[in-house]
Amino acid sequence: MVACLLCCVVDNRKVSLPLDLGVCVLGIYSLCATGGRSSMADDKDVLRDVWFGRIPTCFTLNQDEVTEREAEPYYLLLPRVSYLTLVTDKVKKHFLKVMKAEDVEEMWFEYEGTPLKWHYPIGVLFDLHASNTVLPWSITVHFKNFPDRDLLHCPSNSVIEAHFMSSIKEADALKHKSQVVNDMQKKDHKQLWMGLQNDKFDQFWAMNRKLMEYPTEEGGFRYIPFRIYQAMSDRPFIQKLFRPISPEGNAHTLGNLLKEMYPTAIPNDGEPKRYQVVIHGIEPLLETPLQWLSEHLSHPDNFLHICVIPTPTD
Amino acid sequence: MAAVTSRRITTDSAGGSDPRGPVLPPGGSGRSAETWKRHIVRQLKHRDLSQHAMFQDLIRFYTQLLEKTSLAKGILSCSLRRPSPDSSSSISALLHQNSQLKKTTGELAYQVVELQQQIKIKECVLEEQHARLAEEECRLAGAFDSHRELQERVERVQGENGALKTEYDALLERQRGAETRLREEKVRGGHLVEDMIHLKQQAAARMNSRNERRSRAREANLQKELQTAARSKVTIDSSSSAPTSRSTSPKNENQDQESTEQRHTRLFRSASATSPRILSSIRELFDRKRRGHSVCSLEEDLTCPVGICLSARVPARALHVLDAHEQGINAVRFSSSSDLLATGGTDRVIKLWEVRAGSLTHRATLDGSTEGITCIEFDPTGLRILAASYDKSALLWRLDDSVPKLTLTGHIRKVTAARFSSLPHQVVTGSADRTIRLWDLQRAACVQVVEVASYCSDLVCSENCIISGHFDSKIRVWDTRAVSCVQELPAQGKVTSLDLSADHRQLLSCCRDDCLQLVDLRRRSNDRMCFRAEGFKCGSDSTKAVISPDGCFLAAGSADGTVYVWNASTNNLETRLPDKHSSSISAVSWSLSGEYVVSVDKSRRAVLWSDI
Repeated sequence: MVACLLCCVVDNRKVSLPLDLGVCVLGIYSLCATGGRSSMADDKDVLRDVWFGRIPTCFTLNQDEVTEREAEPYYLLLPRVSYLTLVTDKVKKHFLKVMKAEDVEEMWFEYEGTPLKWHYPIGVLFDLHASNTVLPWSITVHFKNFPDRDLLHCPSNSVIEAHFMSSIKEADALKHKSQVVNDMQKKDHKQLWMGLQNDKFDQFWAMNRKLMEYPTEEGGFRYIPFRIYQAMSDRPFIQKLFRPISPEGNAHTLGNLLKEMYPTAIPNDGEPKRYQVVIHGIEPLLETPLQWLSEHLSHPDNFLHICVIPTPTD
Repeated sequence: MAAVTSRRITTDSAGGSDPRGPVLPPGGSGRSAETWKRHIVRQLKHRDLSQHAMFQDLIRFYTQLLEKTSLAKGILSCSLRRPSPDSSSSISALLHQNSQLKKTTGELAYQVVELQQQIKIKECVLEEQHARLAEEECRLAGAFDSHRELQERVERVQGENGALKTEYDALLERQRGAETRLREEKVRGGHLVEDMIHLKQQAAARMNSRNERRSRAREANLQKELQTAARSKVTIDSSSSAPTSRSTSPKNENQDQESTEQRHTRLFRSASATSPRILSSIRELFDRKRRGHSVCSLEEDLTCPVGICLSARVPARALHVLDAHEQGINAVRFSSSSDLLATGGTDRVIKLWEVRAGSLTHRATLDGSTEGITCIEFDPTGLRILAASYDKSALLWRLDDSVPKLTLTGHIRKVTAARFSSLPHQVVTGSADRTIRLWDLQRAACVQVVEVASYCSDLVCSENCIISGHFDSKIRVWDTRAVSCVQELPAQGKVTSLDLSADHRQLLSCCRDDCLQLVDLRRRSNDRMCFRAEGFKCGSDSTKAVISPDGCFLAAGSADGTVYVWNASTNNLETRLPDKHSSSISAVSWSLSGEYVVSVDKSRRAVLWSDI
């Protein structure tokens, strides 16, 4: 509720809202009052849908693994916003039943030959690698031959927690010069992590809303924390400083960002669309305001993960 | 489409199409803030639908199946590991396993049934216990109720007890108060009794002193006379009567005295001067008068003359009216031999009067009674007076002696009549104690007591009989010697007085219901004549009526103070004598000569009537 209200308030501060009325802050406030309910409800729905997004996955044991008997595949609905090693305990337990203990090393996942980096959110991995494929997502489980060059080791959940918290701090550094996250107490940080780990939407957003506030005179964050992922690229992602409000006072949109950061993603006029800009499995319109996107479509680590994938040719 | 504001940045129409969702309608114009948001919302919903919802149930069921199969696998693997690793015999092993499982299932089912039965039994027991518990609770409630009731009763009874106690205390207080008052009253009563005794003692002392004085005076007198007699010269003459009696011997002085007193011819008595009884009379002289032992000398045996009235005169006017006594007068009597009158009343004395020249002159006063006089009689000689008194005694005086010679005590209540009997030395008294006593004067003792049925109000004596009148309206005639009731005559009412005519033939009775009755005693038939008069009311229970000495007239005094005189033969009222008395007349008496009638009343007045 608080987040929803916040979004509404945030919306009102954006000047690009009006329908039929004139543009003035007061008008926006009144508009918010009349038509705000739907937008508020929409914002809340958006947040919830983002949090509770699931990907149906089929885990199959690698054939090279030595098993006592044939292992059935394991199906699981993975949360988009979480991390692989955080949610695959059951998978491990399932496959360990058919394996001898001495053959088990650290579990790692792989999709069509590509080792899956656990420090990327699951949704990002899916959108990047398998967004246009047939569901369920088939992941192969390995227990040996850990690819040290490609993947990071994840011995325990505290590693994931440390990575998660560092992402949040980094994002807040971009947004608020780390003021907000430093004002929070250790228990608040813990609450954020626990909310993610236990899949508690309200618990998480009780703290996260603070990270989504901004001073009114600014009109938005200082810089938008974002990462643009490319399916085929050498560098892992694009992350640069980008302001949500233009010097003239206009709100930047997604298109502005892409044009700035990855112009090839946006087709020129007349050209067929070659790339899809996917966030959380959907393609937002390019005129979607960036500030709104950062507030609502960020991952729990407060980053806006954008995947640019080639459009599938049918 | 909405207007585009200056602040909005338009983007190209290729907003991107969702590869799996509906293609957005391309439109460069009219993209509002809501559009992209709605687009995003829609996209998210669609994504969830296709990615999440479709696989959710499937994956769940798959997982459940997986668990079940792994469980079964686990069981199988456990059992399989033991018998043989060979897979060919796995089927038989499975079958064996199956049968075993069935057996165990059967056993378990049996156990389940047993346990269920036990549960049922336990439940029954539990219910029973619940029922018992409920019962006990009911009983407990009942016990509590009765306990409460009993407590209430206890409190009530205690309250009543408290009230009773307070009542009792109050009563105790009252009783104590009453007791103290009783004690005080007793003390006061004791004091009053003491005072009374003291007063009586004083009266007795006074009486004694007076008697002493008188006896001393008499002695002194006697001494003086003896001395003078001793000194005087006595002429002795030859007459047989006087000399020896008039010798200077002091022994005969009593006779001297006696003879000087006598008026009637008694000289022949002196012949007995030398009789041996001189000694006794001398003794008597010097002795103090002792009650009960005084002896009447034979000299007083008498044949006395009996006067006869030739004719009585009807009284017409009052000659003398005087207040004779200090208190009410109850009785009046003319002497049987002269015109000497005796009156007696409540003031306890008898006054003797002489009728001289039409007036009553006081002659002597006889006292000695301690209470009022009820009846007076002169003896036939006229020398002695007998009086009946309220002090339950009859007294006898000699006329010259104011101290009674005899006192006859013995009655229990007041003596209403005392008469000289026809027998010598005998006195009859009638009393309110319902007895008639006969007394012997020589011994001064009661010789006989006759019980009568009723209060005797008056007595008369004739030669052979005593006649008594009673309050039960009867007149009884008693034989003198045998002293038994010979006859009973009825009267009209309570008999208040009786009177005999001079010839002892007629008996007059005065009754309380205002009538006089005259009865002829001699005739067998006992005629009665009744005399009434208008205005005549019998004033008291002791009103006295008399027959005139010649027997022709009857006189009685009424309650209004009028004297009524009837003619005995004609039965008519002869005359009425009103206005002299102011209160009820208690007695009348007719003089022997027939000349005078005296009436006395309760207000101490005596009136002398005569016809002149």
